[in-house]
Amino acid sequence: MLKIENLKVSYGSISALRGISIDVAAGEIVAVIGPNGAGKSTLLLTIAGVVKAAGGEIVFDGHRVHGQAPEKLVARRMALVPEGRHIFGSLTVAENLALGATTRNDRAGIAADTERVLAMFPVLRDRYRGKAGKLSGGEQQMLAIGRALMSRPKLLLLDEPSLGLAPLVVRQVYEAIFELKQQGLTVLIVEQSVNRALAAADRTYVLNSGLIAMSGRSVDLHGTAEFDAAYFGMART
Amino acid sequence: MIALQNAIDAISLGAVYALAALGIGLIFSIMRLINFAHGELIMLGGFTLYALAGQPYLVMGLAAIIVVAIAALGMERVAFRPLRRANPATLLIASFAVSYLVQHIVLLVFGSRPMGVDFLAQLGQSIEFGGLRVPGLQLAAIIITLVLLTALALFFRHAPTGVQMRAAAEDFTMARLVGVRANRVIAAAFAISGVLASFVSLFLVAQTGSVSYKMGISMVLIAFVASVIGGMGSLIGAALGGFLVGLVSVSLQAYLPVDLRPYRDAFVFLAFIAFLLWRPQGIMFRRADRERV
Amino acid sequence: MTRIPKEWQTPLLLIAILVAVALLGSLAAPAMQRTVTEALVKLTVVIGLYIFVGNSGVFSFGHIAFMAIGGYISAILTILPAKKHVALKLPLLLEAAQLPGVLALLIAVAAAGLIAFLIALPFMRLKGIALPMATFALLVIVYVVSLNWTAVTGGRQALVGLPRYTNIWVGVAAAAVALLVAAAYGTTRHGLALRCSRESEVAAAATGIDVARERLIAFVISAAIVAMGGVLFAHFLGTMTANTFYLDLTFVTLTMLVVGGMRSLTGACAGVAVVSIVSELFRTIERGIDLGGFTLEAPPGLQEIALALVLLVILLTRPHGLVGDWELTWSAFAKKSERGE
Repeated sequence: MLKIENLKVSYGSISALRGISIDVAAGEIVAVIGPNGAGKSTLLLTIAGVVKAAGGEIVFDGHRVHGQAPEKLVARRMALVPEGRHIFGSLTVAENLALGATTRNDRAGIAADTERVLAMFPVLRDRYRGKAGKLSGGEQQMLAIGRALMSRPKLLLLDEPSLGLAPLVVRQVYEAIFELKQQGLTVLIVEQSVNRALAAADRTYVLNSGLIAMSGRSVDLHGTAEFDAAYFGMART
Repeated sequence: MIALQNAIDAISLGAVYALAALGIGLIFSIMRLINFAHGELIMLGGFTLYALAGQPYLVMGLAAIIVVAIAALGMERVAFRPLRRANPATLLIASFAVSYLVQHIVLLVFGSRPMGVDFLAQLGQSIEFGGLRVPGLQLAAIIITLVLLTALALFFRHAPTGVQMRAAAEDFTMARLVGVRANRVIAAAFAISGVLASFVSLFLVAQTGSVSYKMGISMVLIAFVASVIGGMGSLIGAALGGFLVGLVSVSLQAYLPVDLRPYRDAFVFLAFIAFLLWRPQGIMFRRADRERV
Repeated sequence: MTRIPKEWQTPLLLIAILVAVALLGSLAAPAMQRTVTEALVKLTVVIGLYIFVGNSGVFSFGHIAFMAIGGYISAILTILPAKKHVALKLPLLLEAAQLPGVLALLIAVAAAGLIAFLIALPFMRLKGIALPMATFALLVIVYVVSLNWTAVTGGRQALVGLPRYTNIWVGVAAAAVALLVAAAYGTTRHGLALRCSRESEVAAAATGIDVARERLIAFVISAAIVAMGGVLFAHFLGTMTANTFYLDLTFVTLTMLVVGGMRSLTGACAGVAVVSIVSELFRTIERGIDLGGFTLEAPPGLQEIALALVLLVILLTRPHGLVGDWELTWSAFAKKSERGE
C-alpha cells in the first residue's frame, strides 16, 4: 500500500530524515517510534504532502506521490490526523465531519459514513451541533480521527494519537483503530508510547536521528537489548 | 434631529467602510496577506463606470462588478499565487507594488485629472421620513450593505465553499489535509473581495460623481484601520470596525471646532493609534489566535 | 584589511565604492550629478530604514514622516526671514532665525530623534500587525498636519527658498555617516539583541531581552538617520511640499530596501542602486533616445510602471532580495583575485 524509499528531508540546512525506507502492506498496522526529534512527525507530514522531500520516493497505492499537494493525496484516499489534533475549533462538530468528506460527492455514502463515525464515537453525537473548540482533548482526538475517516481513506496516518490523553481515552482510541483494521484499513502510526505501539502494531520501525535504527515484527522487538540500544541511540545501523 | 441625521450619516458611511474592510479582512483571514491593491480594485470599478458612461445604470453597475471580480482574480493568479509561500513582508510589498503598478497604468491611460461620471445621480435626492431628510444614496448604501452582509453570512454558513473558507481561515494547512483545494478557496475569496470592492466603487462614484486614479487610496487606508480595529482575521470584526470608523469620522466632522475640521483625518488616525494601544488585537480577537509557543 | 573585523569591513568597503561612484559622477554632466546626488540621499534614508526594519524584522511605513519633520524644521531654520514673513506665520524667534545649514541639520535631526523617542514609547508596546499599522497612522497624521498647518509648513503651497547645498559630496558624506552608524549599532549588544528578537520574539523574551526597549532604541536611531536624509533631500530640492513625503516616496524607499535584501547593509545599497538605475533608464527613455534615425520615446509615467514591474519580478524570483543577508567583506574581493577574476 505504501512504499517509501530512501526518503530525505531537510529544513534548511538541518537534516530531519536522512534516507529512510518503510513498507506498509495493505491491512497492516505499522508503528514508527523513536525519541523526540527523531523525525517522526516530519515523516508523516512529508508523506501527506505538507513538507517537500529533498530526495527519495514515496509510492502510495501504486502511484508515485511525492511532491503532490496535500489535497490531491486526500482525494487519493490518504488521510492524516496530525499531532495536536487540529480540529476546526470555530466550526461545529457536524461541520468538521462534513469537511472530512470534502473530496467526496456521494451523498448517501457520506451520510452512511457519518453514522458510522458517530456510532464509533458516541460522544460526538451528543455534541454534534456544538462548537468543536469546546470539546475535551480526548473528544477532539476522536473528532479528528472521525473527520479523517470521512474521506474513506485506504491509508490512515496517525501522529501521536495518545498524546495528552487520559489512559482510558487512549484505550478507546486504540480500540477504534483495531476495529478499523478489521474493516480493512491500513494504518501508519507515529507514537511516543512504546508499549502502546508495540501492542497495537503488526510491525514497528524505530526511528532515531533521521534514520531507521531497527525494524521488525512487534512481537520480535519487544524487550530485546538491541531494541533498547536502537531506541536510545547507543547502536547505530 | 441633527443628532439623528448624523447617526444616519455615520451608519451609511460606516456601511461603505464595512464593505471595504470586509474585502481586506477576507483575504487576510485566509492568506495572511494585506492586499494594498484593494484600493485599486475600487478604483478600477470607478473607471469601468466612467468607460461605460451613458449606458443604462444597470449595465454600468453590472459591468463594474464583473470587471473588478476578474481583476481581483487576475491579481491573485499573477502576483500572489507564486508568492504563496513567501514571508509576510514580501507579500506586503508585493501588494504595494501591484497597487502602485495599477495606479500608474490608469494614470498613463486616463491622465491625472479627476473626471466626472453620472451614476445614479437621482439618488442624491432626499427622501422624507417623518421630519428627516435622508439622501436616497445613504439609504441605498445601508440597505445594500445589509443585503450583502446577510448573503455573505449565509454563504459562509451553508455553501460548501463558504464552510471550506472558514476552515481555511482558521487553519489553512489542516484544511488542505482534509481535501480543501487551496487554489479554489483562495480564488473564491479574491472574487468575493472583488465584488465587495466593486460595490464600494458604486457608492463612491454615486456620491462624489467623479473618478480619479487616486480614488482608491484613502478608502483602502480606512479599510485597513477598520479591519485592524475589528481584529484582523475576523469578518464580523471587520464589519463592526467599518461602522465604528464611520461613526468616529462623522462625529469628528460634526463636533470638531471649525478650524480643526481640515485635520479630521489626522484625528481619525490618532483615535486609531489610541485604540491600538488600548486593544491591539482588535475587538473580536480570540485568545486562541495569539501566536502559539 | 583582513585584520579589521568583518562587521566594519562592510561599511568601509561600501563607502569606498560610494566615493568611487561620486568621483565618476562629479566628472559627468550636471544632470547626471543630480541623479547621483538624489540616489545618495535616498540611500541615506534607506539605510536609516534598514536600521529599524532590517534588525527588528518589523515593517515601518512611517519613516517618511521623519523625513518630512526633519525637512520642515531645517527649512524653517534656514529660509530667509523675509520670505518666511510672507509665506508663514511663525513665532518671532523662529521667523528671525537663519542658521547655517549644518546647525539647522543637527537641530532638525535631534528634534526628530526626540519626537521619535516620544512616539516609540507607546508604540513599541504593540505587537504583531498593530505596530506597522501604527506607523502607517503616523505617516498619515504627519501628512495631514503638514498639508493643513499653513502657518508653519505653508500647507498646500510649496515652501520655497531653501538653500540648495546638497551636492554629490554632501550626499556621500551623509551616506557614509549612515553606514557607519548602522554598522556601529549592529555590533552593539542592542543590535544583537534586536536581531535575536527578529527570529523569535518568544525566545528572545525568554532570554531576558526587553524587546520593546531594543525596538525603541533602533527606532530612534533609525528616525534620526532618516531625518538627516530628509533634511538633505529638502536642501537638494530647494522646496518642501507635503505631497512629496507621502505614499509614493514610502513605496520607493521600501522597494529599495526589499529589492536589495532587507537583512543586510549591502542589500540596502544594492537595492538603491538597482532602483535608481532602472528609474534613470526609463526617465531617459521617456525623454526620448535618438537611435540613429528614429527616436525611441515613451509616454510619461512609464518609469513608475517599470519600477513596479521590476520589484514584482525580483520578489517572484528572489524573495529575499538580490543579496539576501549576505554582506560585502574583504574575503569576497580576495577570493575573486585569487581566482584571477
